[in-house]
Amino acid sequence: MKKHRLLTALAVVALIGLLGVFNLTFDSYKLRILNLCGIYIILGLSMNLINGFTGLFSLGHAGFMAVGAYVSALLTMSPELKDTVFYAVPIHPFVKAMSAPFPIALLLGGIAAGIVGGVIAAPILRLKDDYLAIATLGFSEIIRVVATNLQSITNGPLGLKGIDRVVNTGWSWGLAILTVYFIKKLMDGSYGKAILAIREDEIAAEAMGVNLFRHKMYSFIIGAFFAGIGGGLLAHMLGTIDPLMFRFILTFNILLIVVLGGIGSITGTVISACVVTSMMEVLRFLEGKMDFGFFQIQGIPGMRMVVFSALLMIVILWYPRGLMGTKEFNWDYILQRKYLNIFNKKKKKKTVSEEN
Amino acid sequence: MKKHVALLLVFMLGLATLLTGCGGTTEQASEESDVIKIGIFEPMTGANAAGGEMEVEGIKLANELYPEVLGKKVELVIADNKSDKVEAANAATMLVDKEKVSAVIGSWGSSFSIAAGPIFKDAGIPAVGASCTNPLVTMGNEYYSRVCFIDSFQGTVMANYAYNELGAKRVAIIQEISSDYSVGLVKYFEEAFVGFTGSEDSIIGKASYNTGDQDFTAQLTNIKELNPDAIFAPGNYTEGALLVKQARELGIDVPFIATDTWEAPEFLEIGGESVEGAVFSTFFTTEVPITDESEKFLKAYREKYDKEPASVTALGYDAYLVILNAIEQSGSTDPAEINKFISQTKDFEGAAGMISLDPNGDAIKSAVIKEVKDGEFKYLTVVEPIQ
Repeated sequence: MKKHRLLTALAVVALIGLLGVFNLTFDSYKLRILNLCGIYIILGLSMNLINGFTGLFSLGHAGFMAVGAYVSALLTMSPELKDTVFYAVPIHPFVKAMSAPFPIALLLGGIAAGIVGGVIAAPILRLKDDYLAIATLGFSEIIRVVATNLQSITNGPLGLKGIDRVVNTGWSWGLAILTVYFIKKLMDGSYGKAILAIREDEIAAEAMGVNLFRHKMYSFIIGAFFAGIGGGLLAHMLGTIDPLMFRFILTFNILLIVVLGGIGSITGTVISACVVTSMMEVLRFLEGKMDFGFFQIQGIPGMRMVVFSALLMIVILWYPRGLMGTKEFNWDYILQRKYLNIFNKKKKKKTVSEEN
Repeated sequence: MKKHVALLLVFMLGLATLLTGCGGTTEQASEESDVIKIGIFEPMTGANAAGGEMEVEGIKLANELYPEVLGKKVELVIADNKSDKVEAANAATMLVDKEKVSAVIGSWGSSFSIAAGPIFKDAGIPAVGASCTNPLVTMGNEYYSRVCFIDSFQGTVMANYAYNELGAKRVAIIQEISSDYSVGLVKYFEEAFVGFTGSEDSIIGKASYNTGDQDFTAQLTNIKELNPDAIFAPGNYTEGALLVKQARELGIDVPFIATDTWEAPEFLEIGGESVEGAVFSTFFTTEVPITDESEKFLKAYREKYDKEPASVTALGYDAYLVILNAIEQSGSTDPAEINKFISQTKDFEGAAGMISLDPNGDAIKSAVIKEVKDGEFKYLTVVEPIQ
């Protein structure tokens, strides 16, 4: 165990070192993709906590992100900037006056999203499966419609502009690493075991003394909190937000990351968040002009989406439970492979267990 | 075994990311190269793809007619922003960092331009919008200009038309609340109309609907009771056509006025006879060529596509010409120099009218007013800019 902890610490240091190197050598295009990866890791993990670990099929993520994004953005914008941006309908004086530095604004955005998550979860946790999915989807749309119509607070469809673009690799990946650590600790503890029990069999879990409602509530609130943080980071990376950003399609993108990585796997979510985010940009060359020497093809817009979808289908055909299933990254597993036999002379049985 | 394949797959994907990321940058030699790159930053897929496509048609046509500047070939680099803000920012950064373009044209849909604005500003790359009319696009950004008039002008033009031509004293407004375009226009229309009549009560009612709504009877019944002289309803053409149709069915026979988005064949198809007499402002007309360049554009476009161009196609064409003109005048490919000359554009002859840019980078130009008559869009008049 001690060896594992050392290895993990080394790996984290190596990752931070690698990110530092990227930060110095990458141009702003690649850095932007890198930062997006970090943000999507946070969003994917927060959804995985609700959907994967607790087994509540929730589609309310875009709504929680919207709350986090709006609260944190309105807090960091200066009053003068708010006045110029709110040119159609004057801003509410209280909203105009409120302000906070970025870290606190981000935290408050997350807390606001967590509160909204809790308020939504309280009534709809009586529902299950598909019905829960529809109810959460409905709530997420309600949040968006409210943001569209509350013009004196959110500037309605005109959106917010000129938000400080402070998010750098440190913020996005720093918080991503923290989120991974937090979720991992959560899942290792008794709370994690309890929500896994709920996912597997609610009645059995209840019989064992697990308070279903409270555990599900916590899962929703924590998930919504991290979604709010992710939304706030996204707002402070783009510098602009509007209600149209937070449509169902955004929830779907995150769901794609969770399903591709494996519903209920932290490792899977991290991998697929990076792969999905960078693949869309990597495949961009498909839409440009291509020269094969003897013949040329003009770029076809939308080509990368076709190829991306095909790749997704291939992955899901071979790995119906996502890239990692419910498995996690495991040092034993790495150390005991034949090709890494320098560490262990004796080849043991596979030690990757289902829930580790 | 599966595990191996999974790891291998992930590893390869990661490697591919890194390799492709690094590959593109080797062949950049901006100064000596004999190609000038202009980025096209448009939605080619997603909800706004139709609009993006129309603009790209115009840009490509302009590129065919004027393929060279300073003896160098102009290469167009298309970056799809997927009608999505996050993707828009990615696409903009790609144009700036990977393709190293000298200037950018776009985008249809102001919110994507707003997302990309700070990126172009930081990189010092001039961007010229074709049809993004939201005032926030160029606000506080000296590197963003546009060849279309902005919402404030269009709102004023229609308020002027309602007051002076229609003789309206009491106007009702129906806005598309989920569209930044519609909400922005309503604000300026209101301001201007209240200014003309001198009475705050001249806007007697305001109703809202959402993009995609099909039934407007609730809003219309309320408005009918108010008995307005005219109804201002800027928004999408589908909703607009349905709105007018349902208003006529409810017995509302006052004139409907709107803005350039209504100019789409679908508006006539859906609206049928009910939309007769609807009046809206737009950028451009094919019936009366405004300038010599318009004639050249119309001829080339009809030859190539065998149909009538949309307004935004002409604007895309103009955006390209404005950039080309600036490159020629500055005699350099340095983006900062180009930007300086773009912002100095004055009385430039474009396909959609004369273009002069004000200090914000917004075009001061005339608007065209059209009417639906006998199932067609008919040119009514030209409104000169207010200096």
